[in-house]
Amino acid sequence: MAEVFAQLSLSWFDPWLLFLTGAGTLAGIYVGAIPGLSVTMAVSILISFTFKWEVNDALALIAGIFVGGVYGGSRTAILLNIPGAPSAIASALDGYPMAKRGEAGEAIGLTTVMSVFGGLIGILALALFAPAISSFAIQFQSRDYLLLGLIGILLVGTLSGESFAKGAFAGALGVLIGMVGLDPMTAEGRFTFGSINLMGGIHYVVAMIGFFGVAEALVQLHTLDLPAIKQKIDRIVPRLSDIKRYFSLALRASGIGTVIGALPGTGGDIAALLAYDHARRSTKNPDPPFGEGNKEGLVAPEAANNAAVGGAFVPMLTLGIPGDAVTAVIIGALFIHGLKPGPLLLTDTPHLFWFTVGNLTLANVFLLIFGLTGIRIFTKVVECPKGVLIPLIIVLSAVGAYAIQNNPVDIVWMLAFGVVGYFLKIYGFQVGPVILGVILGPMMDANFRRAMIGARGDPLVFAWDFVSHPISLVLTIAFFAMLISQTPLWARITRRGRTPV
Amino acid sequence: MSEKPSQRPGERLFSVVLVGFSLAALWQAYSISGFSGLSTPGIFPMLATATMVLSALVILRRAFVQPGSGETAGQTIRRFFREIVPPRHVTVVALIAAYLAVMPWLGFLAASAVFLFITTKLLWRRSLLATLILTAGTTAAIYVVFRIVFQVVLPQGTLLRGLF
Repeated sequence: MAEVFAQLSLSWFDPWLLFLTGAGTLAGIYVGAIPGLSVTMAVSILISFTFKWEVNDALALIAGIFVGGVYGGSRTAILLNIPGAPSAIASALDGYPMAKRGEAGEAIGLTTVMSVFGGLIGILALALFAPAISSFAIQFQSRDYLLLGLIGILLVGTLSGESFAKGAFAGALGVLIGMVGLDPMTAEGRFTFGSINLMGGIHYVVAMIGFFGVAEALVQLHTLDLPAIKQKIDRIVPRLSDIKRYFSLALRASGIGTVIGALPGTGGDIAALLAYDHARRSTKNPDPPFGEGNKEGLVAPEAANNAAVGGAFVPMLTLGIPGDAVTAVIIGALFIHGLKPGPLLLTDTPHLFWFTVGNLTLANVFLLIFGLTGIRIFTKVVECPKGVLIPLIIVLSAVGAYAIQNNPVDIVWMLAFGVVGYFLKIYGFQVGPVILGVILGPMMDANFRRAMIGARGDPLVFAWDFVSHPISLVLTIAFFAMLISQTPLWARITRRGRTPV
Repeated sequence: MSEKPSQRPGERLFSVVLVGFSLAALWQAYSISGFSGLSTPGIFPMLATATMVLSALVILRRAFVQPGSGETAGQTIRRFFREIVPPRHVTVVALIAAYLAVMPWLGFLAASAVFLFITTKLLWRRSLLATLILTAGTTAAIYVVFRIVFQVVLPQGTLLRGLF
């Protein structure tokens, strides 16, 4: 117990860790808020600089950026009607109308308090449930990990994209990229074309920087000339009566956020939209109506998307399955520091788990401080023109891609992935599943072969294993249910059910 | 999750490219170890690339089933170069490629400074002096943050070896 407490409070009393968490949170708010910069982009680039650091230092910085970034998206949603991150889409619905009424300061203040509240609920759930899930997940076999990987990619692919086929293609493309190089089991070359440069494989951080950094910068070139809107900021610290009034809604929204965040494949964006929907259904006689600056419509999504942060850490740390693009990037950061997120993380390195819990809590405290101060400077920085931002993103991406292995070829890969990612995005594909595929591909390959070897290479035994063990059976059913629900057959069945005879 | 009704210019061509690429990748995956066993290094890549082929075929079918825009080929090509690959994008990608090409020669810092200056001038459209000051400031900040604080090794050039 004393050990747990020491780890929980480590970042609170160590000045350097305190500084890094604070700096990360502040940077995260700006990164999340500036349209054109995203948390995925920032963490992708950051990983390549911090991989030589002490684990705790890197984790402190990244946790700060994550927490700050999820919150930061709401700032521009309120002030400019441009959600800085997908999780802030719901916040713009009522936040921006409030700002137009001259209540931007009040909206930001309320958002801050409710975000911190939601964040703390999410962390509490993480601390309570992760150890239990983890001890259960120890029983998972190779085939279960294979299924979890497939489910993770499938969920991210289907929930976020235009169509199931596009999500599946993106995920499989990622797996293909992850397969390049020498096979870790037999040292046979895969997709190497005899080139030495390809034998070591393509580093997933390079793919991340290409797909999230360069591709996003190229997409942003389309909206270079969007005019900036200025808002009046007055009272920031919210009224106590408001906090009391919305407490129960914030609590419910945090619950929704935590659960949605904990499901693999769903993150803050869906959590926020569901919480918004809940607020709309549960609020009687909303005044003003939803969509016209209703405070409930702002409180619910903000509490939910921050609660989803703690929730998202649950499957990430206990099962090694990232829930969305942001957690996929963070899992990459954990891997690079030699940590293996999964059921063994809590048994092998419990101190890192409790450190993360303590650290996320600290980041939320910083969020409260930075969220209620410095808003006037903030509005100036957010107006940074994209014409300045885009060249800078490209240079930072180049530094990041090079720094990971000191290999100039990686920068060329970065550009290639950037261009491919641009076309994918333009034609309605999501790049999140690609990154999940790159990260989870090698894990799935290894587990597939282990399971096959376990079945002595007999495909019938292999298939039987998937239905004859309880955990595998549940996961197999979940996988096929998800698969079938995306096919035209299912659409036909449900349509038939709905059509009046 | 429903398909957008309108076709984006080049969508059909893009889906053809996806099918071609996926087939080539499947062939490559097959050539790793063929069907010599079910736990060989080539099996999982074959599963992944087969998924790509299948989904690319579905995407292709949808792109061709969808009603076209009713434009002539010439109009579509013009729209492609206006909406999907406008001159601004071509220029920026060419600038990035040039930036990468001169980096081994000029070194990271000098190449970045030149790239930042040209691209910012192009996209920001302010006076030469303002762009110059901004470029100098950002390059200096990048040097301080990455070389001094993060101690990242930045690519050195052959032209000014030791200096940058």
